This record gives sequence, C-alpha cells and structure tokens, in this order.
Amino acid sequence: MVNSSVRTDLPRAPGLARSPWTWLLGVLVLLGLVAWVYELGHGLAATGMRDVVSWGMYIFTFAYLVGLSAGGLIVASSSEVFHIEALRPLARLGVLTAAVFSAAAGLMIIPDLGQPIRVLNLFIFPNWTSPLVWDVTIITIYFLFSVLELWVMVRRPEKKKTLTTLAFIGLPLAVLLHSITAIIFGLQMSRPWWNTALMAPIFVASAILSGTALIVLIAWILQRYNNLRIPAATWRWLAGLMVMALFVDLFFVASDYVTIAWDNIPKDRQVLDLILPGGPYQLTFWFEWVLGGVIPFVILASSKLRAKASNLALAAALILMGVYAFRIELVIPAFVNPLIQLPPGTSLGAVSTSGSFQLVGHYSPTWVEYLITVGLFALTALAIAIGYRRLHLGRTIQEAAEHVAD
Amino acid sequence: MARWGMVIDQSKCVGCWTCAVGCKAINDEPLGYWWNRVLTTEPDSSAQVAAPATPAVDVPHGTYPNLELAYLPLACQHCNDAPCEKVCPVGATFRRDDGLILIDYERCIGCRYCVAACPYGVRIFNWGPAKREPDFVIGYGEEYRTGGRLVFEPVRPVGIVEKCTLCVERVDANEQPFCVDVCPVGARVFGDLDDPKSEVSVLVNDEGAEQLLAELGTNPNVYYLPSSHPSKVSD
Repeated sequence: MVNSSVRTDLPRAPGLARSPWTWLLGVLVLLGLVAWVYELGHGLAATGMRDVVSWGMYIFTFAYLVGLSAGGLIVASSSEVFHIEALRPLARLGVLTAAVFSAAAGLMIIPDLGQPIRVLNLFIFPNWTSPLVWDVTIITIYFLFSVLELWVMVRRPEKKKTLTTLAFIGLPLAVLLHSITAIIFGLQMSRPWWNTALMAPIFVASAILSGTALIVLIAWILQRYNNLRIPAATWRWLAGLMVMALFVDLFFVASDYVTIAWDNIPKDRQVLDLILPGGPYQLTFWFEWVLGGVIPFVILASSKLRAKASNLALAAALILMGVYAFRIELVIPAFVNPLIQLPPGTSLGAVSTSGSFQLVGHYSPTWVEYLITVGLFALTALAIAIGYRRLHLGRTIQEAAEHVAD
Repeated sequence: MARWGMVIDQSKCVGCWTCAVGCKAINDEPLGYWWNRVLTTEPDSSAQVAAPATPAVDVPHGTYPNLELAYLPLACQHCNDAPCEKVCPVGATFRRDDGLILIDYERCIGCRYCVAACPYGVRIFNWGPAKREPDFVIGYGEEYRTGGRLVFEPVRPVGIVEKCTLCVERVDANEQPFCVDVCPVGARVFGDLDDPKSEVSVLVNDEGAEQLLAELGTNPNVYYLPSSHPSKVSD
C-alpha cells in the first residue's frame, strides 16, 4: 500500500481558459447556437427530415446520449453494489458523466421540436399513455439523482451509508432509463423494425457498452495528457465490462436479425435488407459489426492486446462509433418503407422538380443538423472538463487509485 | 351521441383525385402538402404491401392482358383506438366522443411521435411557413374550436402536426365532409355508425365494408368496400 498523501502536483495541467481545446469547443458551441437560431427562423424545413423520414439525427443522437449517460452510473454503482474496488477510482467521474450526458440528452430534444417554446407542456399536460412522458420523467429523475449523488460524493464523502444506498438505487435507475427510452420505439406496431420485445434489452446492453467505452476513453485521455495514473486492475475491469457488454449487445441484435430473416415477413425483411451488406444503409452494418464489433472484440479478448491502455482506448473509440451506427440503423431505416407504400407515396411538404411525393423515404442531415449536434457534443465535453476541474476529480481519482492493488 | 364514420367504395372510385384536391381547397393546404391522397393499388390486395408493384400512379398491376387497377383514397382513419392519441405526450391529439380524432393546435409541441406511431402514414407535419400560389386564404377560412380547443386555423401553422379533421367544422354544422360532397361518382358515404339504419352502418354490417389494416386493432371509423364489391346500379 502506497502512502496516500495527496500529490497536488499531479492533476495540475494548464488552466482551462488557456487551453486551445476550450476555445475550439467554445467556437463549436457557438456555431451550434447560430444554426439553432437559423432553424428557429426557418422551421424544421431547415433540416433533412420530411414526412416520410420524420425523425432524424436529433433523435438518434438523443438515444445515443441517453446510452452514454448510463455507463457512468453503472460503473460507479457497480463498485459499491458488487464491491469492485478497482472501479472505485472512477466512481465520481462516472456519476459526473451520467449527470452531464442525461442533461445533454434532454437538450437534444429541444431543436427537434416544431414548437420548442411549448416544451413545458410535457410537464403541464402529461399524457401518461405516452412512453415519451415516461421517458421525460425518468430522464429528469436520473439527472437529479446523478447531481445529488455527485454532491454527496464530493461534499459529504464521509456518509458511506448514504453513498451505498444511492448506489443501490442508481443501478436499477440506469436500467429503467434505458428500458423506457427503448420503449418509445419498441411499442410502435406501425414500425415493424422497432416492434420487438428485444428493444429494451438491446438498449440496456448497448448503454452499458457505450457508457463504459466513454469512461475508458476519458480515463485514457486523463492518463495520457493529465498525468493521472489509472491502476492496471481498473483497466482490466473496464475491459471485461466492455467485452461482456459487446458480446451481449451483438448477441441480442443478431437474435433480432435471425428472427426477421427466417420469418421473412415482407415489411420486416424489407428493413433488414436495407442495412445488410449490399443495402443502401450497409455502412451502419459495417460500423456496428466490424469496425465497432469484431475489431474491438479481438482487441479486448486478446490478453496481449488488452494489456495496453492505448489499445483499450482504441477499442473504446471504435465501440463508440459502432453504437452510434446502431442508433442510426435503428431510427432511419424504420421510416424508409412505410406500412402503406403505394404510389405516389406520402406528400413531403415541399415542392421540387422531383414532385411533392416520396414513395421510398430518403434522409440526409443538413448543415443545420450537423452544426447543432456537434455543438451539443462540444458543450457536453466542456461541461465534463469544467466539472472535472471544479470538483477536483483528478485528485480524488489519484487518491482512490492508490488503494487499488495492481 | 353519434359516432361519425365514412365508407369509401373502391369499386366506384375512378382515381380522379377530386376528393384530395377538394380537401386541399377547403383546408387551404399549402404547396406540397396533401392531407388526403388517392393511392394506386391492386384490387383485393392488403393495404400493407411488401413493395409497391409499380412506382407510378395510375399504372395497372400485372402482365398484359391480365392487368388490374384499383384505387385507395387515404386520409386519417379516425381510429377508435388511435396510436397517435396514445403516444401524444401532451394530449394534443384527442378523440372527441363522436369519434373524430382532432389536434389541439395550441398544445402540440411538434415532436412528431404521432407521425412515427400512425400505421397509415396520414399525419402531416408543417415543416416550414405555408407556401401558396396564389397567396391568399381559401376554403373554410376561419378559426374553429370545439370544447374550447383550437382544431382548425385558416393558415397552416408552422411546427405542428395536422391531418384530416373529417371537416369537423362542417360536420358540427350538419354538413358532410367536403371530400364526400365533391366526389363525382358518389364513392364516399358519410354517416352515423351508431345508427344501425344509417347507410354507413348498412354498408359495414351487410355489405362487407372493411377497415384498413384491421389486424392492427386500431378500429378505424373509416371503412372500405373492396373493388370486387359489385357496384349497385340503381334504377
């Protein structure tokens, strides 16, 4: 056991305000805001969405952000609930990401609304048969819970009993958050691609997967650029968590593919053909299964490769891309071929040389959607960086790390 | 209390789009927006098809000389168990006691969950400011409220979801929906499904009118007489 005296020299990197990264992120946030103002002026006509593919980048990014918020709380709670000492150094960082990403998910919905000014109607006139209302409720609870847990961790670290209780609440809360977000899609019989009982399990698995990958990536950046030393045992646990989640996630998705392929029900099969190799959305398949699937799996399964933290970070980055591809694959192809698909199709709400109807849905995001989405990611990164500084997480991570045996 | 319904006789429909254009006229639907459409289909096929047999309007299905052609006029089905009403997070979409599915224009937040949930694809979101040529208000031209809730405006409001209201303002004034009035071949019949003697009830109960995608259990108040149904020639 190493002497646990605080090494104050460790997490002292240049101040945030002087870092060029802060400025870059700030500019991206600003550009996102400009794009949003433009969208407010022009309506959602400024996006690539129309009446056939009526949800786009905002919604699949929303689902992605919700997933990212899970990992943190799961890593943090697991260290307490399952007594995994090696994960304890990352507990506060985990809860911080949970708070920031759940807030970001909530924010992502705002530019998707046709009437953003009425967003409070969700709280004033909730219709409880709507899964969206449950989701708004659980995201709000989840965010407040993460803030509370973080507050106790930082300000009242001596209250061990309270922290244990919070950890025991946090774990089922994270599972509930993902199940309910999944149910927004999974309950819709109008979209055969979504309408599977596997939706909630897939969301929980992919949330644990992407959330853990996010923690790995942040931890690696801190170790690489902020002189923080993360114990080897912590890396081992994170690698194990990722490889298990990756396997379970892809297993669920594959089960869904097999059911659709074997049953061959036309409207289901039509969607699968869009994403399988050769289909117009095959890029999501390659990202999900190869770049974000097989390759990180090999890295994480090989005891030689996973021994290096930089390899883990690479696997985590690939996984994060793969899960984003999965969110795209989930949302867009579901809209492309509506149940009733007869000529001339659905009116687009726009007149162009190709007519005002669309029989097969098309979607590509506009610059407005890209800028707003990137801006929100930048804001999220800034919030994590500021939270990390203000709450002196570097110091506490280092302190806790000293207690972890390698 | 009546339960308003409509029966569309596919054996009479000639695919002229007068109902669709009439709908655009009475509701002042802007360029590129259609609340009511006439789809080209095959006789006796399910509305849910794997892939459209032909990409074009009015093109018959099959191989010469065995060609077949039928039309499916499609707008809101006014379901008794409406998925759009269930998913609306703010209760903006509501079902009136007489079966009309309406949208509260002042409450809708424009999340488009209803558009994703509707199996019939008949909900229309107003993506941008209404473009009209010529640019003046046509049709009903007034606000309309029912039970205090705003369910129609003369100019299509940006950022909310709209659809066929079954011409609520006309129905409440003891008139028929406009598409029923303008159909040149009388393919549309409007009436009270709760009255067993009404024409719509007879068509549903005795003549075999069917609901679209009935297997989904949405229980629409709009019914279809299949195109194989023998047209009754009176006199």
